Amino acid sequence: MKENNFTRRDFLKLYGAGATLLLANKFGIHSIAWADPKKKSLKMVLVDYSKCTGCRTCEAVCSAYNNPVKINGENLLGLGNPVYSRIRVHSFNPDVDVPNVCNMCPDAPCVKACPVEPEPKTGRKAIYRDEKTQTIQTDLSRCIACGSCAKACAEQRTGVIELDPKTGKPRPICNLCGGDPQCVKHCPFNALSLVEVKTNRKFYGQSPKKIATELAKKWYGVSDLGGLK
Amino acid sequence: MSSVKGYFGKLLYIDLSSGKIEKRTIPEEDLTKFIGGRGLGAKILWDNLKKPGIDPLSPENPIIFTTGPFSGFPVPSASRTCVVTKSPLTSPVRSTYPHASTITYSNIGGFFGPELRFAGYDGIVITGKANSLCYIVIDDERVEIRDAKKFKGMRTDAFDKKILEELKDRRYKTVYIGPAGENLVRYACIIHTSARAAGRGGVGCVMGSKNLKAIAVKGSSQPNVANHKKFLTALEKARLTLQNSPSTKYWRNYGTAGYIVKSSDQGTETVRNFREGTFPEAYKIGAEAARRDVWVRDIACLYCPLACKKSGRTKGKYGGIVHDGPEYETGVMLGTNLLISDMAGLLKIIYNVDDLGIDAISVGAVIGYLMEAYEKGMINKKFLDGIDLKWGSVDATLKIIDKIAYRDGVGELASKGVKALSQKIGQGSEKFAIHVKGTELAAHNIQGNPPRALCYATANRGGCHLNGDNAQAQNFRAMIDSTGVCLFPAMDNSYEEPIISMLSAITGIEYDRAQFLKAGERVFNLEKLFNYREGFRREDDWLPDRFFEDAFTIGPKKGAVLDRAKFRDMLNQYYKERGWDTETTKPSESKIKELGLAKII
Ligand code: SF4
Ligand code: SF4
Ligand code: SF4
Ligand code: SF4
Repeated sequence: MKENNFTRRDFLKLYGAGATLLLANKFGIHSIAWADPKKKSLKMVLVDYSKCTGCRTCEAVCSAYNNPVKINGENLLGLGNPVYSRIRVHSFNPDVDVPNVCNMCPDAPCVKACPVEPEPKTGRKAIYRDEKTQTIQTDLSRCIACGSCAKACAEQRTGVIELDPKTGKPRPICNLCGGDPQCVKHCPFNALSLVEVKTNRKFYGQSPKKIATELAKKWYGVSDLGGLK
Repeated sequence: MSSVKGYFGKLLYIDLSSGKIEKRTIPEEDLTKFIGGRGLGAKILWDNLKKPGIDPLSPENPIIFTTGPFSGFPVPSASRTCVVTKSPLTSPVRSTYPHASTITYSNIGGFFGPELRFAGYDGIVITGKANSLCYIVIDDERVEIRDAKKFKGMRTDAFDKKILEELKDRRYKTVYIGPAGENLVRYACIIHTSARAAGRGGVGCVMGSKNLKAIAVKGSSQPNVANHKKFLTALEKARLTLQNSPSTKYWRNYGTAGYIVKSSDQGTETVRNFREGTFPEAYKIGAEAARRDVWVRDIACLYCPLACKKSGRTKGKYGGIVHDGPEYETGVMLGTNLLISDMAGLLKIIYNVDDLGIDAISVGAVIGYLMEAYEKGMINKKFLDGIDLKWGSVDATLKIIDKIAYRDGVGELASKGVKALSQKIGQGSEKFAIHVKGTELAAHNIQGNPPRALCYATANRGGCHLNGDNAQAQNFRAMIDSTGVCLFPAMDNSYEEPIISMLSAITGIEYDRAQFLKAGERVFNLEKLFNYREGFRREDDWLPDRFFEDAFTIGPKKGAVLDRAKFRDMLNQYYKERGWDTETTKPSESKIKELGLAKII
């Protein structure tokens, strides 16, 4: 699947050769500058907006995978209530659909904004970059429900952090499904891919509204986007 | 939550006269017998209208929005909402009740029904009439009726944007009417996402009669399923089935518009007010042309891998329109039926029809009828308020559509449908006033297609092309419309089995194909009983003379025409198979008993 077709050996070989890999695949041509393998690389789910139909299958499968249920002692996928999805499809009028998911910003403005003191042992704030998955995760027991993370993300990047209306604390953020992103796997239109984070990529770290505005101009020649706010 | 799995077992009852809002439990038996969507809607309508002849535009007539057991679960293409009410458009040949009309069930894709389920309801029942224009907001448990006076007269595209600004939350899913619904055009529709329509039978007119501009809903929960593990297995199979189906690819590439050229080539297209089955210029407004010149995106309804909706923008004389289409129905009824082959002009017409909130099928048939009557000199330019309504004229078509939406001049009579028009104009024009039971026929022409003729003649909501060409197909489709899944993927036989096993897993009631069809038959018969009670009889299952007299003069089916005696035989066979009386079409006692309907009626 996607980049995963490349084995770790290929990866090292290429890296060792100091190469920049040109990946020609279904989401177009992207040059991937591999990160230093000693450091863990940042990956994210990338959207090809021209392929996205707004079907929201990604929301359902994300929710189902990340909210499993235990039935007769067996762990099963949940029923996919989209409210608990970590990818959110924003729809506009005229028809533009922008799936929004954490862009795994290397500088993580969300984490920076969190006023909670880092835990001495782990160095984690209430929102932090998880060592293992390199994704942004939350420790709700320490969260003070100030909403600073959501605000920082909304002002500076994608605005993907949703606060639970009951607790005021952030809902879980994309964890890349432990390496096997369900949204990528199940998108019926192959609009999603797991890729290396590149901050110079077009639309990187932008809000759905900004992205939609540009797409609407490009596709329909209109700049008046409805369904906003 | 309901004791029947797969449902909340809850209906939201809103009386707009008193402002009373109630949450009522759905009787268990209604869920197991009538499933949801179209079936549950029919049952609710039957329970609410205790006697025949009630004026469909009176506060008594409920407008019912139902979901199915699939709604809100990630079942591929389970995007549909059903709108059920007593139609303000239909009427029988004769009846003792002046307001006699059929049931109507109009089906809409998109996101509304599933969201209604997320909010915790299997359906909404709206009765009464508000003092002034209002809208309903549903946010999980919280339900409010709000003032909509400032939206009065607003067209649907503008309203679609405005309402979200007002609600300040993009997650609301909305349905609404346009000027046509507010003005009580008999075939006004309900619009969703500014292009999807619950088109047929005048559901938008009934909404308008209640002074209800819109409903907005958002929610956060889901019902349970009976057998979780079995559901997951069936779901996986459903996904794979559609993903691998060649028809999925076809829908993605062409949508319904792929049929515009194909149908013309087969001689089954509605052309020149149903006079012909072929339009040599169909290719100018077909899918290939649209893909080349108009479409920029494929759009899907909730959880749908087909993405049959296409949107784009037009260039040229009528350019600058950003909308979806043409689809098969809109492209044919407003294109080939009127001999219009200018793509940009057609898109502008489709946009206006949606924007005003009029059913594209009915209005296409009305304009086709008027064009023919004008050509034949039965009506003159004065009758048409000075509009030179010639075949193929985009400008004249746009003008007449406006007249209809505002019931201005000729639009007053034309807003009542082709049946009312022909009764007034007379002069033998009834022959080419193309309707069954008052509902205008759709984009499939039938001189050379007897099974489709039977489909139209026997549909419970009048001239409906989706009814099914025989009893079994009709039962199947009644059931599809009851589950909340879209008919298009279900037209692929391979999706049948996954649908039935998902339904079994969700509800915990084991269905096989026979039982599935039986449930559909029950739904179809309850609708039929509703119509029968209103006074609809065998004579109402009949087609305009055109189909028996005007043989096609061009195309591969040149010379084709229906035969009255043969068609009568076909109907006889059909009633026998249905267990209905061949004279009156009354469902037999034994059939009623067999379907478990005896107690209900
Ligand atoms: S599943 Fe794919 S096509 Fe559907 S909304 Fe998500 S990204 Fe878009
Ligand atoms: S700022 Fe937003 S998009 Fe960037 S890492 Fe944080 S949550 Fe993700
Ligand atoms: S809401 Fe919680 S996680 Fe977010 S910034 Fe405040 S304390 Fe940190
Ligand atoms: S990668 Fe996994 S967690 Fe992240 S959005 Fe996709 S499905 Fe959800």
